[in-house]
Amino acid sequence: MDVLTNLLNGFASALTPQYLLLAALGVTLGTAIGVLPGIGPALTVALLLPLTYKFDPTGALIMFAGIYYGGMYGGSTTSILLNTPGESASVATTFEGFAMAKSGRGGAALATAAIGSFVAGTISTLLLTFVAPVMAKFALLFQPADYFSLTVLAFISVTALVGKSLLRGLTSLFIGLFIGLIGIDVLTGQPRLTFGMPELLDGIDVVVVAVGLFAVGEALYVAAQIRHTKEEILPVKKGVWMTREEWQRSWPAWLRGTLIGFPFGALPAGGAEIPTFLSYTIEKRLSKYKEEWGKGAIEGVAGPEAANNAAFSGVLVPLLTLGLPTSATAAILLVAFQIYNLQPGPLLFQKSPELVWALIASLYIGNVMLLILNLPLIRIWIKILEIPRTLLYAGILVFGTLGVYSMANSFVDVMIMYAIGVLGFFMRRYGFPVGPTILGVILLPMAEAQFRRALSISQGDLSIFVTRPLSLALLLLAVGAVLLPYLPALIARIRRKPVQSGRIVFGDGQED
Amino acid sequence: MKQNAAQPASPAALALFGLRLTALVVIFLGGVILTQVAQIGSGAGFIVVGPRVFPTIVGVGILLLGVLFFLRVTAKPDQDLISEVTAEEAATDWTTILLTSLSLVVYASLLKPLGYALATGLFFPVVSRIFGSQRLRRDVFIGITLGLVIYLSFTRILGVRLPAGLLAGIL
Repeated sequence: MDVLTNLLNGFASALTPQYLLLAALGVTLGTAIGVLPGIGPALTVALLLPLTYKFDPTGALIMFAGIYYGGMYGGSTTSILLNTPGESASVATTFEGFAMAKSGRGGAALATAAIGSFVAGTISTLLLTFVAPVMAKFALLFQPADYFSLTVLAFISVTALVGKSLLRGLTSLFIGLFIGLIGIDVLTGQPRLTFGMPELLDGIDVVVVAVGLFAVGEALYVAAQIRHTKEEILPVKKGVWMTREEWQRSWPAWLRGTLIGFPFGALPAGGAEIPTFLSYTIEKRLSKYKEEWGKGAIEGVAGPEAANNAAFSGVLVPLLTLGLPTSATAAILLVAFQIYNLQPGPLLFQKSPELVWALIASLYIGNVMLLILNLPLIRIWIKILEIPRTLLYAGILVFGTLGVYSMANSFVDVMIMYAIGVLGFFMRRYGFPVGPTILGVILLPMAEAQFRRALSISQGDLSIFVTRPLSLALLLLAVGAVLLPYLPALIARIRRKPVQSGRIVFGDGQED
Repeated sequence: MKQNAAQPASPAALALFGLRLTALVVIFLGGVILTQVAQIGSGAGFIVVGPRVFPTIVGVGILLLGVLFFLRVTAKPDQDLISEVTAEEAATDWTTILLTSLSLVVYASLLKPLGYALATGLFFPVVSRIFGSQRLRRDVFIGITLGLVIYLSFTRILGVRLPAGLLAGIL
């Protein structure tokens, strides 16, 4: 088997002391930062980007994958003990997890989250191992028109399915597109939307946008209300382990969560948000212990946490094979690739197989490390929760500034980053999701380049986007994504029943 | 609710004002983009999709979305959004935001003259204080440690350049 040889080679390089150390560093940093209240994997990766400028690409990406994974494990701890999800994908965990912690079963909730994440992470990495190479081969068939339609699908589905309002999601997306357009046009060399500032000719670096929107924006948002919020950390009384009955109730939920999480992560639909809520709903419906729901049903933690981790491997499929990030966090991982001049896509598997396979192998290893870090050592992470929030957010501002300043020691870069931070603050204040903005900034160059390529092939004929079957299918999916949230209301109207809610909401779109 | 709305500074009134202002800012941004598009040169040679196409689409899009959003906060108000923002408005300290933004600008401009370590040592306790921390001595200690540790590890171990500033001879 071709895949197995590749994977074994990947393990051979991921198991070298240097990469093992980087993976360990990544998962530890990821957990430590992910466990901080209100901080999810996207913000964690954005803050730690500058640490790796001088690493070799494979080492850096192994570390980032570790940070991302660690951020997710850490996030579940905060959701369960503090009721503060670091990102929208952990919101579903808080419902039953926090209820369990309140009734003194926090230990079992943490255990099912950690073991479930491990099970889901391992199974879904296995799926990734076999699906990604096939997908990469398929992706070679993609032509410019198909790529453009794919970016349209990603834009539309992330804005339409995630967040409360399509209007605000689209506004957020377009602001991202605007930021992405600033700078010299690669094809014609014309400066665009630079407002006469020479500093803007090179465009605004994605790191500047990511750190501004996620780190500074979030810090300002929390700071604005810091005197009005009090948080209480629930203690973990008994050990972090599960009873026999809890095991029996957890494992089917883990497996179902994995099976929901992986495919949804792989679709361009906003990453882990939809599958976690879906898993929560399904577990609630299937549960034999309906009376426990709301008071701490363990399936309600096991399912969504498994779905969350499985979705990450799913997200890697389009990211590695098509270069298409399907969530804000994946978008930031794409930035990590681009820092090293690596363009994920079908050719990545041919050009840098060592890197891809070492990365995939390191996911297996990282999962084992995280299980060890999170079960016996959980008490150390809980201590981190006790850091006062005043110091925490002051620290985030320091690290955010460091990240941007260390790129080029440029005062202007830092000021642009702060300005984007203020934008991020107002977006959070007035209910605009920030995820679509970063997606817009990152995908704009790809969308425009492929649009141009497609039209020069067709000599200006726009119909190329609907005459190619693949492109047409992708565009139809995009239309479907816009209509899907309105479907229940539509069906109710056809059946002449009273309409309960106008539009289904999948999470609140606060991914950071 | 109605009584609250009558007072000029009530959270509900502020929220509505903020939302409408946001809509106007989005519309204004769309307009600015479109005026900037006019200044983009067309480039030499024949190109099927010129450099103005995408900026025009984005400019028009933002303008339209701004108008739609303005309608959602005036003629056909989105009550969910308005009540959400009202709740946040009630809990927001605008002074904290203003002071934080101000100290960020000062921090950025002091990085070069004072050096990274000193500027950070100064910024950290100041911002912690703005956020409501009461323990100045602890914050100063953490800030200076943080600044020194970051400076030394970045410049010595990671090979990233940071300004030494006043401490140039010592560090």
